[in-house]
Amino acid sequence: MKKQARPHSFLFGVFGVTLSCVFVLFTSLVMAKTPPADAVPVGNSVCLDCHDDVGIDFAKTMHGTLLNKVSDNSCESCHGPGSAHVENEDPDMIINPARQNQFDGKSTCLSCHNTDNFSNWAMADHNAADMNCSSCHTIHSDDVAWTSGKINNLCTECHLDVKASAFMPSHHPLKEGNMSCLDCHDPHGGGATFAHESSIRELCFSCHPEKEGPFIFEHAPVNEDCMLCHSPHGTVADNLLTQTEPALCLNCHSMHFHAAIEGWDGAFTTPQAPERAGTTTADGWKEGMLTKCSQCHTEIHGTDLPSQTISTSGNALTR
Amino acid sequence: MKRIFTILLQSLLLVALTFMVAAGQEEKIEETYSVWIGSSYTDFTDYTKKIGEFRNGDDEFLPEFSIDYLSRGINHIFSLNGKYRDENNIIADMSSKIGDGFSADFKYRSMFKQAGQDMLANLETREAGGGKMLTHEILDPGADYYVHRKEIESSFNLRLSKKNNIRLIAAHRTVLQTGIEQHIASSHCFSCHLTSSTATIDKITHQIMAGLQADLGKNTVGYQFGYRIFESEAPVNVADFDDAIHPVFGTKGAEFGSRMIYEDVTLPVGEYPNTEKLSHKLTFKGDAGKSSYGSSISYSKATNKNNDLSSTALSGSAFYATSLADLTRLIARFSVARLDVESTFVDLPLYRDGRPGTPKDFDFTRYSSLNRLDLRGSVEVISRLNKRLTASFSTGIRLVDREYYPADDADATTTFFGQAKVRYRKGMRYSTSVKYRFESSSNPFTSARGLFEARGRSILNSVDGTAFVYYWQREDLRYQDITTVPTQAHILDVTSSWRPNNKVNLNVGFKAKYDKNDNLDSLDISHFSMQPSLALNVNIDPKWTVSAGGSYAFKKSRGPVTIALFDG
Repeated sequence: MKKQARPHSFLFGVFGVTLSCVFVLFTSLVMAKTPPADAVPVGNSVCLDCHDDVGIDFAKTMHGTLLNKVSDNSCESCHGPGSAHVENEDPDMIINPARQNQFDGKSTCLSCHNTDNFSNWAMADHNAADMNCSSCHTIHSDDVAWTSGKINNLCTECHLDVKASAFMPSHHPLKEGNMSCLDCHDPHGGGATFAHESSIRELCFSCHPEKEGPFIFEHAPVNEDCMLCHSPHGTVADNLLTQTEPALCLNCHSMHFHAAIEGWDGAFTTPQAPERAGTTTADGWKEGMLTKCSQCHTEIHGTDLPSQTISTSGNALTR
Repeated sequence: MKRIFTILLQSLLLVALTFMVAAGQEEKIEETYSVWIGSSYTDFTDYTKKIGEFRNGDDEFLPEFSIDYLSRGINHIFSLNGKYRDENNIIADMSSKIGDGFSADFKYRSMFKQAGQDMLANLETREAGGGKMLTHEILDPGADYYVHRKEIESSFNLRLSKKNNIRLIAAHRTVLQTGIEQHIASSHCFSCHLTSSTATIDKITHQIMAGLQADLGKNTVGYQFGYRIFESEAPVNVADFDDAIHPVFGTKGAEFGSRMIYEDVTLPVGEYPNTEKLSHKLTFKGDAGKSSYGSSISYSKATNKNNDLSSTALSGSAFYATSLADLTRLIARFSVARLDVESTFVDLPLYRDGRPGTPKDFDFTRYSSLNRLDLRGSVEVISRLNKRLTASFSTGIRLVDREYYPADDADATTTFFGQAKVRYRKGMRYSTSVKYRFESSSNPFTSARGLFEARGRSILNSVDGTAFVYYWQREDLRYQDITTVPTQAHILDVTSSWRPNNKVNLNVGFKAKYDKNDNLDSLDISHFSMQPSLALNVNIDPKWTVSAGGSYAFKKSRGPVTIALFDG
């Protein structure tokens, strides 16, 4: 393979830094409005004068149940003091957590939900995408049952390509409800519970430990990146392979040199194994060797047991 | 099965105890439940079982049963969700929480994965002229292969002290995989003969995670310990390996036998080594003004207990997020990992020992392809340009320096990426985002010497003392590195969402990716994919949702299919 320097990579970095500076300079002064400092609480009854529809649903929710028991200012627990909003009927004069985003400092929700689960929200991709808690969670109506199937439906409302992939012939059992998106992804920016390092390999091995080894006889792509051969959300090929065999394997390996030659048009007449007699065709050899590499190379993720021939150093991953 | 039921029982008791303690102390404010009883029937007429099929039914009427239960008090919540489709397909979730001091979650999953049987019909063939051949044998032609996976997971979070919010966090998962699988073993010489047999699956994985965390001012420090053990308790599957002789003429036993590590013997095949993995992780996170930061250091060691072979990973990561201005944020991420696997010496018999000519020694030391230093860093700047428009730009680098890399000119793989994203948002009703990402790599991962690139016979000499050129000499002609990993990639992602009201949500998306590697001497590769999609969700009320959508995926690859340049 030719090894070339890539000057555009450096230029790309310079371009990036420049563009970042432009962003900073170009920032406008549009700020999210908050209640004036002299605003005072008005109590739930005042809020419900106008927002009675919200109040009926809210009372049934977990938040409503808890907050209504301990305070008459449950609305303002999240929305802040409402006097200015009441006087001016200005929606910008009250905190609206549903409109908060990454530029508004710490989310109102996180002031109570401050456990370790949410401590990576500052760097979470969903936060950086201008999403907030309300993008996924409904606060004013009841939505407690976060079962696997419901979570998967929620995620795929936006991640449509993933939803489509789950309908491919080979897929992780997301649509069956036996897996949840949360088994691999943390929408709040953290990692999976049983994955120790932040790598895709580690994530896959946390559920498929038999593939990790270490083995005496390795297959280098397994050590490199599972995604070289697999696409986790769904594929047409079996076993979540990105292509069918042997095309996938032949992208990196020459086929056996028997494979491209013509087959024998007739019957086997093997003197040492008459019971293995069969018939074949002129294209037979090609057909045989072009089907699935893993029919013989069964231990494709690695093994401790040597294959049979000395000249391959036992490294053929057939046993 | 005893173990899994024991664990199941213990977990259930703990969650139930939590619930009972909480429920007994206070009045229930709300208690709701729903029960579903039904039946399902799936017609499998003309149905071909295949690998990867999750069985959700059978050719008979099956009962369905599901339950949702919720109990809430001023200081507790308990929920139970369960679904039973048949004895192999069961889902159950339980969650219990008492105030801010204790929470417990429990999950049980049981699923059934159907596997097809490869009848190996394609593997009965012979070279032109009556030469080398390939035969197969199915020892268990009627086998119905499957994997039954059962998974139990529980997690607990207990506040030990209000002062400094000291918490004990623990999680446990047990995965049982049982069933039968097809195993194919291949025997060289005699004939190239494949034997398909039935192997029992009985794998068990236990994982635990336990840790402590505490708040120190605005900072949180934590420690986690992880341990995983994997064991296969199935009887070792075995296969017969033929006495090596000439595949056509049945002669030259000594010659062919001298090329084999083993022959005329029954040996284990497809053995899963028992492994264990332990890990330690220290974390530190905190806030300072408008900035957030965090870091972690972790160490893990995985051991193949069958061969006393270990791999280690030492890694660290850090992030820093801050406001550069009122409406501009910066997020920086960095990570470094050092991965090592012990080398091991592979002692092999001499090749053609006792035959004419000099025997060849194929002993070697296996240095692992995993050994490497992996460095990553990225910076993202996000800026709100006005009330409706947000833009972000990110760039980063990844460097992978492999210690034992057989490819020629083994420089480290360096990957730069850049990404620009613009998001337009009009209130809560409408949003559109457009993202473009560019990646550029030098020296991407290759299959070292995976490809022949020259005719062999004319440049190969027979081995001293013989009149023959042997296969291993031809193997040595593989000197062309080959890869499917691109050196350039362009990715476009457009999504648009419209919510005319709280009950209707329309999403439109389009993704496209083009990548290529034209640095190869003779074989350029490129891939193109695109996927438009559309989805409509109508939430009629909290209990009814109507969803409809469609997606079209197009993928096109241009790559090498390597062919032989000489015959055997």
